[in-house]
Amino acid sequence: MLFSVLIYASEDFIDAVTPEEHAEIMRHHRAFHEHTKSNKHFAAATKLMSTGTAVTINKESDDYVVTDGPFAETKEQFMGFYLLDCSSLEEAIDAVKLLPLDHGRVEVRPVEYFEGADFKNAERLVIDAS
Amino acid sequence: MQSAWLSTHLRAARPRVVAALNRAFGDIDLAEDAFQEASLKALKSWRRDELPKDPTAWLIVAGRNAGIDAFRKKRRETPAAPEDLEPVHDGSHPEDDMTVSLDQSVYRDDILRLLFTCCHPVLRRDQQIALALKIVAGLSVDEIARAFLVQPKTMEQRITRAKKRLQAAKLRYEEPDASARAARFSVVANAIYLVFNEGYSASHGEDLIRETLCEEAIRLARLLVRLFPEEPELRGLLALCLIQHSRRSARLTADGEAVTLEQQDRLKWDRTLIAEGTVLLEAALRKATPGPLQVEAAIAATHTRAARYEDTDWAELDRLYRALEIIRPSPVVTLNRAVVIAKLKGPAEALRNLEHLATPLQRYASYYALRASLMHEIGLSNEARLNFERALELSGTDAERRHIERKLASLVPAI
Repeated sequence: MLFSVLIYASEDFIDAVTPEEHAEIMRHHRAFHEHTKSNKHFAAATKLMSTGTAVTINKESDDYVVTDGPFAETKEQFMGFYLLDCSSLEEAIDAVKLLPLDHGRVEVRPVEYFEGADFKNAERLVIDAS
Repeated sequence: MQSAWLSTHLRAARPRVVAALNRAFGDIDLAEDAFQEASLKALKSWRRDELPKDPTAWLIVAGRNAGIDAFRKKRRETPAAPEDLEPVHDGSHPEDDMTVSLDQSVYRDDILRLLFTCCHPVLRRDQQIALALKIVAGLSVDEIARAFLVQPKTMEQRITRAKKRLQAAKLRYEEPDASARAARFSVVANAIYLVFNEGYSASHGEDLIRETLCEEAIRLARLLVRLFPEEPELRGLLALCLIQHSRRSARLTADGEAVTLEQQDRLKWDRTLIAEGTVLLEAALRKATPGPLQVEAAIAATHTRAARYEDTDWAELDRLYRALEIIRPSPVVTLNRAVVIAKLKGPAEALRNLEHLATPLQRYASYYALRASLMHEIGLSNEARLNFERALELSGTDAERRHIERKLASLVPAI
């Protein structure tokens, strides 16, 4: 079964972390990567750009309206997600315990449908099949 | 809670909290002191596992109470103190699990007001930068002094004078109408770009603190874009800072010598920052209301699209510099455009474009250095050498001087 691991944090906070704190956060993520790759549960990792880059597309009567910024203003923002391919919710929760949980929130939510494709305009992304 | 993380929470909350306190008190000095008091209280009572639900709101209430205490004290000492500053009783105490949720639009107005006050046009540029760094970003006087290579005492005086100047100007903050609002965004965006540039241009100061200035400018720009995503010039500001910052590890040698765009190892450019800057710029340009920072970001983005210096799209750069000459004309823009014209139409044409800059840029080393290179290219060896020597006299820093000297040395066989 596929599980999504959805990561929320305050961008005000993320922007303020020191290089040492950033390194500590990344240590947790690396541990998560190593664990889920070694037991073959790792399926995908996605880190989103800042919400300042976002636009929201609406339809008003017959017109498309593109507004600037994310859909909702919240104290914590959606930062990115992992996909895990594991056999139970329990396994997904165990893996998530390795993530940095002192700040922000992590939500686990099962995936109903997933399809991937070859990327043609994203040559800088890491695509690691291992 | 580990004090390191705690101070990061305080740093993260600072702009919004100081902005709210500034609204409550109408005084940046008092707002700053009250934030300090609230931070001390937080350091004592916050725990890692028991962070308040909304640290920002907690700090605002604690700061407001601290400020009111300070007022009361002052009033006892000086009975003539203003009566209209009676405390706001909202029944909440910072130790309670309080949930004052402040509307996002209130934050927006507060932040704009605070930044506009710190970057007010009555202040000199160096005062604007110092105040923004001290009050909004929360850098210490020592840190700001190190960035500007002045004594802490000198910087302290600069900040005090800036605050006095604000008081003397008796600023009355009125709700801006749409055009005044746009003007304020432009003032604030330019001041933040000054902060970035102060860190970026290798004119003086220690590397570490200079890097801090760039990062603080980016942090402020990110905050503004988050609060005002619909303002294209703010996205332009962030795009510009990110794209410039993407070159930080390519633009200096190990010995701290500046490396020209032409000589930089483009593989060292930070592609993640470039990608973010590029998409921010694209989003900004969709609004079709170009401002100088958007155009500058577009210029920076054009350079990032060239895999090698030889692949630079000079025609596009010429169009962009021409646009900049119209939106925000300045001799330096014309000087930069001359470099582009030299690539497109040759050194003689570029020299003609430089002619009318002789007076405005007569103390500007880069002006003479560019003239010298162009003259050298068309075989005017003596004139080239004279111009290089003039550039050398005017160069402000050792790095700049060494750079010109190297160029001069490379000309020797030709001269």
